[in-house]
Amino acid sequence: MILTALILLTGCWDERQFKNISLVLSMGFDTGEEQAIRQTVSIPTVTRSSEGPGQEFINVLSTEAHTPREARDKIDMMISDNFDPSKVRVVVFGEELAKEGIFPVLDDMYRDPKSNLNAYMAVVEKGTAEEITRLRATGETRISEYLGGMLETAASSTHTTGENLQLLCAELIEPGIDFSVPLIELDKQNGAINFSGMGLFHEKTYTGEKISAEKSTLYMLLQGKKGKIARLTEKVSGENDEITSYATVEVNKMKRKMKLTVDDGVTADIHVNLELKVVEYPSDHLYVKGKIKMLEEQLTDVFTKESEKILTTLQEANSDVFGIGRRVKAYHPDYWNEVEWSEEYPEIAIVPHFDIKIIEHGIMN
Amino acid sequence: MLMGFFKRLFFGDHTRLQDRDLAHDHNHGRKQLSSKKLSENVDYLLSNFHKSNDLKIRVLNEGNAALLYFESLSDQEKVFEKIFAPVENGQIDEISKLRSARITQNLEEVITNLLGGQAAYIEDGSNKVHLFDVTSCYNRTPEEPQNERVIRGAHDGFIENIMININLIRKRIENRNLTVKYIKLGTYTNTNVAIIYMDGIADPSLVQEVERRVSSIETDMVHSPGLIEEYIEDQTNTPFPQMLHTERPDRVVGNLMEGRVAIMAEGTPTTLIAPSTFFMFYQASDDYNMRWFTGTFIRLVRLFSFVIAVGLPAFYIAIVGFHFEVIPDELIIPVKASINEIAYPPIIEALVMVVIIELIREAGVRLPAPIGQTIGIVGGLVIGDAVVRAGLVSNLMVIVVALTAIASFVVPSNELSTALRLLTFPLIVLAGTMGFVGIVFGMLIIIIHLTKLQSFGVPYLAPVAPLNFGDLKDTFVRLPMFMMKTRPKDSHAIKPDALNPVRKWKLSDQQGSKPNQQPDGAEASSKKQSDR
Repeated sequence: MILTALILLTGCWDERQFKNISLVLSMGFDTGEEQAIRQTVSIPTVTRSSEGPGQEFINVLSTEAHTPREARDKIDMMISDNFDPSKVRVVVFGEELAKEGIFPVLDDMYRDPKSNLNAYMAVVEKGTAEEITRLRATGETRISEYLGGMLETAASSTHTTGENLQLLCAELIEPGIDFSVPLIELDKQNGAINFSGMGLFHEKTYTGEKISAEKSTLYMLLQGKKGKIARLTEKVSGENDEITSYATVEVNKMKRKMKLTVDDGVTADIHVNLELKVVEYPSDHLYVKGKIKMLEEQLTDVFTKESEKILTTLQEANSDVFGIGRRVKAYHPDYWNEVEWSEEYPEIAIVPHFDIKIIEHGIMN
Repeated sequence: MLMGFFKRLFFGDHTRLQDRDLAHDHNHGRKQLSSKKLSENVDYLLSNFHKSNDLKIRVLNEGNAALLYFESLSDQEKVFEKIFAPVENGQIDEISKLRSARITQNLEEVITNLLGGQAAYIEDGSNKVHLFDVTSCYNRTPEEPQNERVIRGAHDGFIENIMININLIRKRIENRNLTVKYIKLGTYTNTNVAIIYMDGIADPSLVQEVERRVSSIETDMVHSPGLIEEYIEDQTNTPFPQMLHTERPDRVVGNLMEGRVAIMAEGTPTTLIAPSTFFMFYQASDDYNMRWFTGTFIRLVRLFSFVIAVGLPAFYIAIVGFHFEVIPDELIIPVKASINEIAYPPIIEALVMVVIIELIREAGVRLPAPIGQTIGIVGGLVIGDAVVRAGLVSNLMVIVVALTAIASFVVPSNELSTALRLLTFPLIVLAGTMGFVGIVFGMLIIIIHLTKLQSFGVPYLAPVAPLNFGDLKDTFVRLPMFMMKTRPKDSHAIKPDALNPVRKWKLSDQQGSKPNQQPDGAEASSKKQSDR
């Protein structure tokens, strides 16, 4: 009897009944007014119905506390069930808090084995996370679903890295590499949320600099990341006619290599080989001999110029997203020890090289 | 008689032939010589049958002779046709001169034969008892067994008469090596039990072992194969059946040809097959009548059903009780919605539902067919729906339990199906207390148990453990028949090869067609030329 009880009851202590749990699906962190942190969570509650989906209520709660864990405990006292962050889909930071540093907030999530490190992270540009979390978007019931879906599609259309908390962790802690996080913006007129670019981080803080949404695809390609689709629209000729001077290309295949040369200073050459497919080219006549060659050259030109701009922004922000520091540390440790990397990085030369090949131009002609 | 004696004297055959009979060795040496007095003989018989009223005695020849038989065992028409008709037609003067009779002087033998449905004719002044076979038997037709139906293939099945059953097998294997051994079991019931095997294919030591175990049974009665199975199986403390039960002659024949031994008993259509392995319970006759692609697919579905039947409720309970992180994001709200307001913990829910399903099933089996359907409707629709509406059980749990029940009914063998449904319970409890860890432990224990089991010296999990790649051809998959060249090793067949290349025609076709084609082509071209 005792033996059976010992065997069968050993596991019961860590039983967590799914029905007794309040699922927190999205979390927002801001700087508080009195205390360090203001946490906002959205908790959906559903009622059972025998047919079809039950009715859903969304409960948004905010509280202020010194640490995220304290805030969590405070919220736990406000709800009937147990607070459970294991199904969190998005963690949103207000701009101010992000500028102060995100690691102290994430520390709790990294320590808790039950938290969902698969969640996406985003920073709110010109606003607070609370606004976003409290947003009732039309058509979408849950903010977690809305934001999560948005960030997922942004990753698949090569606008963001698609990194989750787990992947960010290493880049957050390591000194030789920085990262960028999707920026979102509240569009009050439409009651919607916009993806507004990639926010550049230096070490653990948001720098305030960003790569805009239009440039973020090229920025991703420079990083060597390509989602399911990577589409770029660029102005390729100096003609006045607005529409016909643009071309839209889709990346079919991509190869990216980074080469480091360290002598007096560091030079990083980024080689990007692209195989492109023209999906939009209103000035047409691609079948004419030499036209494709010309377009290739034009694109190479434009991409190089654009990239240079991006790289300048990166260096100004002192955000080493390519992990050049990591490479230097690994292959040239003497040099790494010699210099203070965060001072060195804005000074180094990063040169983009594009090799573009158009392999398809649609079914016209 | 005298001629016969001289013939034997001259031709040197000194051993007297004896009638072979099922019962010839069953008197245990008891012998009671008949006397010359009719009344003494009749009294002895009557007193031995405790003056049972269905023992009919017809007094003949003005009291000088008597014909005894059980009217409940004998066919009146046969009595007339075999015994009285020849005398009345004048073919013969006396009943005692009928040549079809078997003559004995042992009253004990008379008793066993009377019980076998024979009629005994006894004359005053002679100690010879004449026995006539007038047995009546009532058999149903050998129709397809209800519990082992197939879509294509043979549609006959065993019945309650062992002779007809053996007939069905012999008709399928017209071979001298098909050997039948009778053993009488049950000191009171005297049930005929037959051990059938293919001599030259079946391992003699296996046959010997089966015979040894069967003949060692000492019991008052044997009325079902379940009893015999329990008497002779290796391990009784297990939910898993170690002998295959079947009512299908084609299945028995297939297994005999693999070198296994079949055990049949009078009065039951169920045949036991030994040794059996776990995977045999998942083979159905249908598999071999289908194309091998479909056969393999269905077999895989069936084996997958094992996992569902044993593990699905436990898996679900572990998820909602411990590890709800594994639910996909899109599903988490619907799942939460369905279980949010259920009063009981999932383990209670599951146990209640599983028990209810068992109740419905059992009620359906016991009730006559027309009412059985009603039970299905009441159980399935009304209870299932009402229980969810009332909020006692979540609709997800209903889905899970219903799927489990269906999966357990997919197993072709009823014994294994019951075993699987029984195994769900401990796994539910383990999952409810320890989550996935509990399931892992439970499954481990089941697998350890399965690998330890043996059926007549054959590992139960063969050919997976011990692994034999060649024999996997007929376990998870059903490879094409021409690849089943050897018998499975687990049957210990002494003749391993089952078939010579059966598709030899193809080889000869390929070789033959090449030289054939050339003259054809040459002919055609020459014809063209001549046409020009």
